[in-house]
Amino acid sequence: MKLLEASGIRKCFGGVVALSNGNFSCQAGRITGLLGANGSGKSTLSKIIAGVYRADAGEIRFLDRLVQYKNPNEARKDGIAMVFQNLSLVPDLRVWQNIVLGAETGRGPFLDDRQAKRASQEILDQLLPGLDIHKLACELNPGEMQIVEIAKAISADPKLLILDEPTAALEKAEVRSLFRFMRLLAARGVAINFTSHRLWEVMEICDEVTIFRNGENVGSMDFAVDGRDPEKIVSHITGIAQKASAAKASRPPSDEVALKVKGLCYADALRDVSFELRKGEILGIGGLAGQGQHELLLALAGSYPGVDCLAEADGKRVRLNKPANAIRNGILLVPGDRALEGLFMKRSVFTNMIFPKLGLAGQPFFTPRKKYREECETAIDVLSIKAHTLDMPVQALSGGNQQKIVVGRWLSFDAKVLLLADPAKGVDVGAKRDLYRSIADQVREKRVSVILYASDIEELVECCDRLLVMYEGEVIATLEGDDINEQKIISTSMRVGQE
Amino acid sequence: MNGTSVALAGFRGAADKQKKLIIAFFLIVFLFVFGQLTVSNFLSFGQVLLTIKLASFIALFGLCQMVVMAGGGDGLDLSVGYTATLTAVLTASIMNGQNANLWIAILVALAIGLLVGAANGFLAAYVKLPPLIVTMSMSLIVQGGINVYTAGANITGKPSPVLQTIAAKSTGIVPNIVFVLLIVAPVVTVVLSRTRWGLALFGTGTNARAAFLGGVPVKRVRFASFVISGLLASLIGLLLLGNMGIAFKDMGSNYVMPSIAAAVVGGVSMSGGEGNYFGVILGAIFLQTLTNLLVAIGWGDAGKWLGFGIVLFTLLIVYVSDRRVR
Amino acid sequence: MGKDPKKAWAATRKYLAKPEFSTLLILVAMLALAAFLQRNFFEAKSLNRTLNAFTPLILLAMGQAVVIISGGLDLSAGTALSLLTCVLTSVMRTANPVSGVYAIVAAFAVAIVIGVVNGIGMGYLRIPSVIATFATSFMWLGAALFLRPTPGGQSVPWFKLFYDVKAYAGAPPALKAFGSMVPSALILVLIGCLFWFVLSRTRTGRYIYAVGSNHTSAYESGINTARIQLRACVINSVFIFLAALFFVGQNQSGDARMGDPLTLRAIAAAVVGGVALSGGRGSVFFALIGALILSLVNKIIFFADIPYAYQTLVSGVIVIIAIASSQAYTLYSRKSMNRRGRLA
Repeated sequence: MKLLEASGIRKCFGGVVALSNGNFSCQAGRITGLLGANGSGKSTLSKIIAGVYRADAGEIRFLDRLVQYKNPNEARKDGIAMVFQNLSLVPDLRVWQNIVLGAETGRGPFLDDRQAKRASQEILDQLLPGLDIHKLACELNPGEMQIVEIAKAISADPKLLILDEPTAALEKAEVRSLFRFMRLLAARGVAINFTSHRLWEVMEICDEVTIFRNGENVGSMDFAVDGRDPEKIVSHITGIAQKASAAKASRPPSDEVALKVKGLCYADALRDVSFELRKGEILGIGGLAGQGQHELLLALAGSYPGVDCLAEADGKRVRLNKPANAIRNGILLVPGDRALEGLFMKRSVFTNMIFPKLGLAGQPFFTPRKKYREECETAIDVLSIKAHTLDMPVQALSGGNQQKIVVGRWLSFDAKVLLLADPAKGVDVGAKRDLYRSIADQVREKRVSVILYASDIEELVECCDRLLVMYEGEVIATLEGDDINEQKIISTSMRVGQE
Repeated sequence: MNGTSVALAGFRGAADKQKKLIIAFFLIVFLFVFGQLTVSNFLSFGQVLLTIKLASFIALFGLCQMVVMAGGGDGLDLSVGYTATLTAVLTASIMNGQNANLWIAILVALAIGLLVGAANGFLAAYVKLPPLIVTMSMSLIVQGGINVYTAGANITGKPSPVLQTIAAKSTGIVPNIVFVLLIVAPVVTVVLSRTRWGLALFGTGTNARAAFLGGVPVKRVRFASFVISGLLASLIGLLLLGNMGIAFKDMGSNYVMPSIAAAVVGGVSMSGGEGNYFGVILGAIFLQTLTNLLVAIGWGDAGKWLGFGIVLFTLLIVYVSDRRVR
Repeated sequence: MGKDPKKAWAATRKYLAKPEFSTLLILVAMLALAAFLQRNFFEAKSLNRTLNAFTPLILLAMGQAVVIISGGLDLSAGTALSLLTCVLTSVMRTANPVSGVYAIVAAFAVAIVIGVVNGIGMGYLRIPSVIATFATSFMWLGAALFLRPTPGGQSVPWFKLFYDVKAYAGAPPALKAFGSMVPSALILVLIGCLFWFVLSRTRTGRYIYAVGSNHTSAYESGINTARIQLRACVINSVFIFLAALFFVGQNQSGDARMGDPLTLRAIAAAVVGGVALSGGRGSVFFALIGALILSLVNKIIFFADIPYAYQTLVSGVIVIIAIASSQAYTLYSRKSMNRRGRLA
């Protein structure tokens, strides 16, 4: 008896198709895993089911009824609860208060705290015995916060529980505890959807998996029937057809070292990262999403004042404690989220393009408009940016052109290392190719080195000379040459063959 | 598509900042027309000039607010009133009605402004205390300082004749302070839109994260904005002294609230990144006109403040509600 | 889990490290200092006088604390208080005892309106509370000046009950006896405390903390955040209303400008009492203590023979120090939270 059935789901964000044909079903009392590479559509589908997004097309049947939720609260009332990775606890309330938040029981207007504490203790005893329910949420470590989030979802007595990468923040012991609880819940008849980037976890806890690629469901395996075969799963995820790797322009990187990094550590996000970047090389940073790639680029750009490492650019020691230092040494960042970190959306193309110059020492007090305008025109030409005038607001441009502006601001600088944090995110295919071609031209002409992080594996495969695969803040593998293909990257990222 | 909808479409298409300027301008016109209809002689030449003269001081203080607001981080400066007063009180006895000591007075003014501004800037930008509380407390401290000074000695002295000419007198029918404004306004606009620091300031206010990643020292920029506000407030104190002829304890405190209101009405965003000094001037004129109108109608102090509050609140709804973020 | 002495000591040590404990310590220190400087400080009469002087600030601080905890700030509290005193003294007619009742009803209604307007601005229209209450403070000031251009107005004799029972000649002897033991100011403060105590046990009370702590999380949990912020503003108005009753009871007149200096001091008192300006944290009862501390500081300044001229100065410096240290503590504890995995 199918508890939930989603068919033909389609969802676009801006011009990007996240889901083209999402099909999914799950049953009560079964644990279904959702698998797929970054951008495959699996988390989009989960969010649509939970009511966070609305599908553009397709239908969802829950308990044999057609449903369309406007917000997560509606879904929750119906019995679908989702636990996100970005935690939504209230920091200054206690654990038990958080668990019952929004659904407190009470006598009349007064809250029944005793009942709330009892219920919370009950749930937590099964999930994470020993956790003090009187602790404030801000006093918990990330793993405990995640558990409390799960407890909160469960306290609503859902029929379908969607867990989106719940194990990302958990230690091994906590994971085991969570699995035990999940089996209990399943035995009680709850349907559970489970996502994880650790393949072994999925294989251990799930009864069946549905695999996504490129916005659609490409296969499902019932473990009881089909057995557990990691290679088969990975091949579904990556697609059997091997992409012929595009002939990379013959520009063998020199042996000179452009940037040397040793022992880069930052909080919990980066652990002892070391590498050498050669002149003219395009070094990719890969791995599953959220393993520290973005943080690595931000750290190299000098945006973490507390970062700890030894860095040398062109043989000269660089202190990466503020962006101005990195910029001065030619280490330039093209940030991932251009709206939040890269551009002033309402300001003009001109303002955006000259902005980095303002932080640079030695620039004149009065901005030399004419000279700057000429430089901007040149940059626009070089990167073929489609903008009518320099004075139009940046938000009026297409995503691809906006991204080119984020890149183009650095053209007049003496760039040594270009840090690209997912430059083609949210940019459509044609513009993406265009963008990369322009960057490749720059690399060729000026012998600039590039560190590229892309959430889309295709980009990494096409462009990179070398690839560092990251996992939980560490570099676990370096791939070169023929090893840079989707299959190998994904299996390395998921640590297949380990655990 | 008829003419109205074309006009509306054009209006909506105009950039946000222009829109606010247009609204402010039309509001002023509306007020004057309304005033002329209800109270005779409201729209006389003399009245208009007097309004502009009074509004000039508000506009000058409004510049302080604009600078601090533009940098973002909920910036505003409530200490400008008493900073100006302190300067006026101290320099009055230094100048004593002579031009000779004007330069010393100016230096003293700069020192006071620097001190207050640096204290504000340090606490707001580096220690990251809310600017509201910081500048409010600083205003108390400066007021306390004035109390201490005036307890020991009476406030004596008069401004130098130069200051009096600039601030109080007129050339022909035009009050001289308007000329000051006419010089300050373009200078300010140029500095803010065409210099490194100005652009960095607006960038910081628009998107502090992007500014930071672009290499701009965000804390330093915000610190500087408070220092500049303090310096300006202090210099305005000299002008106030010139206008009044003497210094007294509450000289500047009535300008603080209107200066913030003028900035907001003039299109300066309280969250930072947007602002045009001409808008602030228009805002000041609007507020002064509104005040005069309410007084002329005969509502007195009560009507003045009530109208003030209602209008400001309404404008806030109009200006801020298009930025409703959960 | 039995009472393990080691555990008890660990729990005690944790409590000692809390900011609330240091606030209590400061209060005790202030009381000691005050008693040292003013020999008869703890005598009933002078305690009574002290309490009367402190009451308006205490009530305002408690109300302000509620707004701040919900994530806002009320800069119009002072002028709202003034307005309410003007309403009271404009409705009352000395000759007509019943007019006192009408006045109370009218003032209460106005208080609710004040709270609703502020709440709509902050909660529904999402205008930053600083500038929203900034604007509304002028509305209250204007209305107050409209009712009472100069201080004055009329008050019924029995209103003095709100200030000091003994001052009202017509009080029955039993009441007078009660009043000489328990001052009216204390009753008013206790009413306020009871009011909040009851509320804190309801959903509204809990949600006020949730909304102030993390607006988005509260919203995603299904809480109507706008409505909660509006309720917080109305609760604040009730405290202001109580303070107005006291003021008119004491002075028998209304004054449109009496509340002006109280706004900042109420905010400072709340912060000194441990309420975090960022919201979600703090206790209304400790805001009361904060008000006590701040008022004692002023009293000490007075008794330490610091010249009147210096008092404003010292006040201002103390406010900054108090707020700075409170904020510094917040930043420190939040920073260590953020570093644990969540890179803010």
